Amino acid sequence: MSLLNLNPQTIKQLKRFRSIKRGYWSSVLLAVLLVLCLVAELLVNSRALMVSYDGEWFFPTYTSLKPGTTFGLDYAYETNYRELRAKFEEEDEGNWVLMPPVPYNAFENDLKVGSYPPNPPSFEDEHYLGTDSTGRDIVARLVYGFRIAIAFSGLLLIFNYVAGIIIGCAMGYFGGAFDLLFQRVIEIWSNIPFLYVIMIVASVVVPSFLTLVIVMAALGWMQLTWNMRTSTYKEKGREYVSAARALGAGNVRIVGSHILPNTIAVIVTFVPFSIASGVTFLTALDYLGFGLPPPTPSWGELLSQGTNQLQAPWIVTSVVVAMVVILLMVTYVGEAIREAFDPKQFTYYE
Amino acid sequence: MTSYFVRRFLLILPTFIGVTILVFTLTRLVPGGPIERMLNEAALAGAEGGATISSGFDGRGGSVLSDEQIEQLKRYYGFDKPVVLSYFDWLGKVFRLDLGTSTRYTEPVWETIKSRLPISIFYGVATLILTYGVCIPLGIVKAIKHKTAFDNLSSALVFFGYAIPSYVVGIACLTLFAANLEWFPLSGFVSDDFDDLTLFGKALDILDHAALPLIAYLAGSFAVTTMLMKNSLMDNLAADYVRTAIAKGMAFRRAVFAHACRNSLIPLATSFGNTITLVITGSFLIEKIFNIDGFGLLGFESLVERDYPVVMGILVISSLLFLVGNILSDICVAFVDPRVKFGSGGSNQ
Repeated sequence: MSLLNLNPQTIKQLKRFRSIKRGYWSSVLLAVLLVLCLVAELLVNSRALMVSYDGEWFFPTYTSLKPGTTFGLDYAYETNYRELRAKFEEEDEGNWVLMPPVPYNAFENDLKVGSYPPNPPSFEDEHYLGTDSTGRDIVARLVYGFRIAIAFSGLLLIFNYVAGIIIGCAMGYFGGAFDLLFQRVIEIWSNIPFLYVIMIVASVVVPSFLTLVIVMAALGWMQLTWNMRTSTYKEKGREYVSAARALGAGNVRIVGSHILPNTIAVIVTFVPFSIASGVTFLTALDYLGFGLPPPTPSWGELLSQGTNQLQAPWIVTSVVVAMVVILLMVTYVGEAIREAFDPKQFTYYE
Repeated sequence: MTSYFVRRFLLILPTFIGVTILVFTLTRLVPGGPIERMLNEAALAGAEGGATISSGFDGRGGSVLSDEQIEQLKRYYGFDKPVVLSYFDWLGKVFRLDLGTSTRYTEPVWETIKSRLPISIFYGVATLILTYGVCIPLGIVKAIKHKTAFDNLSSALVFFGYAIPSYVVGIACLTLFAANLEWFPLSGFVSDDFDDLTLFGKALDILDHAALPLIAYLAGSFAVTTMLMKNSLMDNLAADYVRTAIAKGMAFRRAVFAHACRNSLIPLATSFGNTITLVITGSFLIEKIFNIDGFGLLGFESLVERDYPVVMGILVISSLLFLVGNILSDICVAFVDPRVKFGSGGSNQ
């Protein structure tokens, strides 16, 4: 199943996906956003992109921290590049600082004399969406929060898929006692009040990124497993499986290289929806205060600040708009994939 | 079939024990258990001069307790025994319908929960009526007017409701309609002067407070239910029996309402029982957002304040409702669809 030797079926599906404009362009846009997210340090950061000081060039973004003394300042902690930029401009000695478009990181509190955060959006201060209630830049919180949420959903997806595919295929393929056992396990498991149990767990152990992923995966692997079981079960009865077995293929080979590629529709269709639900869920947990510990940038934490500070509508507005845009795009992609892989036509009586 | 449902009801017990044992062990096994946390927080609150978290200590405020008092506390909440023993103690009490005593309100957990239930039930029932009242007619119209302007327009709305989680809808509504436009009150179930209002005024007041949360609740189930109705009606409209009915001279309207609609309601029955659980699970976020003093907010607050007897009590009730809701769904399906036979390799999925 190499990627370059796409079979005609896959090519047809890809073409159909591309023909669904809304979903296709959403996926392109999302891909661009993801790439931008990976290099978020170059776009939203308190470190300068480039500093020219006494004829020497510095690129502090990804290097270890440069103390203020490097640039002739009188302190040994990390250089404040925004102040450095102002200083250089004032001195006008040919030194300059190139800052990223948003010159703040997600953790620093930009407190100004005479004003109390949250501060409204201001182009002058380069807080394009304002600051939150402790003076942190909202753009920075949004961007880094998005990156964490996507990484979280991605990791969760991998955990769920590994469990779902292995257990689901085994249930469908082997059937019998194994299938029955896991049917009961899934039945019990899906009766757990999911959100509440995670909240309880999170209230007892302050969750780290990884523990939260594991806890959520432990409670959320059933859906995909069930779908994989159904489709493996269906595929198992088809002739090509019997043919493969007659040719002497072992179980692993039959499942791995014959059945699995044929259940690809189930696997692929689930991806966007899992991502969306991962983001939604993490945001909900963060909103309730049972998610990742502060000061991790997160949308949920911003939402909760926003609802506590309704006089600062720019907080809620930024997050809600960001969430709506991202989730709509992800859902467009999901719908397009579903349609590409499983075109359901209605014959309709007029 | 009866034996299948009897078995399902019997299965409630092991599932219930499984869920509670999991959570119970978690609350006990982790280092720095609830008592230590309570002490720490009491000390912290004392240091900050606040009395918000220390309410569980009955006005003892932030003072750090003596060892003897800690022992007493531990004995009182059963922390002095091994997990297994104290679990069975707790379980035994639950079977005698005793959920323990809230550490925060120092009253029986059941009383605390009971006082919040009417509000949650109000929202649950209102959402149920609204969901089916809106989605079924809308689904029918969308199916009949498939691919017309109305269908496409409402599809956009449905899609929006599908992609955006209900709590985001709730927060957006709160910010826009309550905080900015001030059309609706910000929070709560009723106004402060509720007792002085006339009966009509009371109803109006409740509606005024309920409008935004209900929109949020509705957003959660709106899309799926509408599309389910639309798609299943379209499947049925394409079926041979509708074609036959029309070929025999039956009016299209009658064919839709007398034949196709009835059969299209079957898939909706699958989700009927789960709406019970909406009272519980859907409400954490929305009750928190709108500050509605219901079941969900109680669960949230008791978690924040580490009122573990209430936490466990709510877990008991919500998992029982969850289990019963799932079975109820299956009973509904079996009831409306005589073709469904449970019990032969059946499942609840």
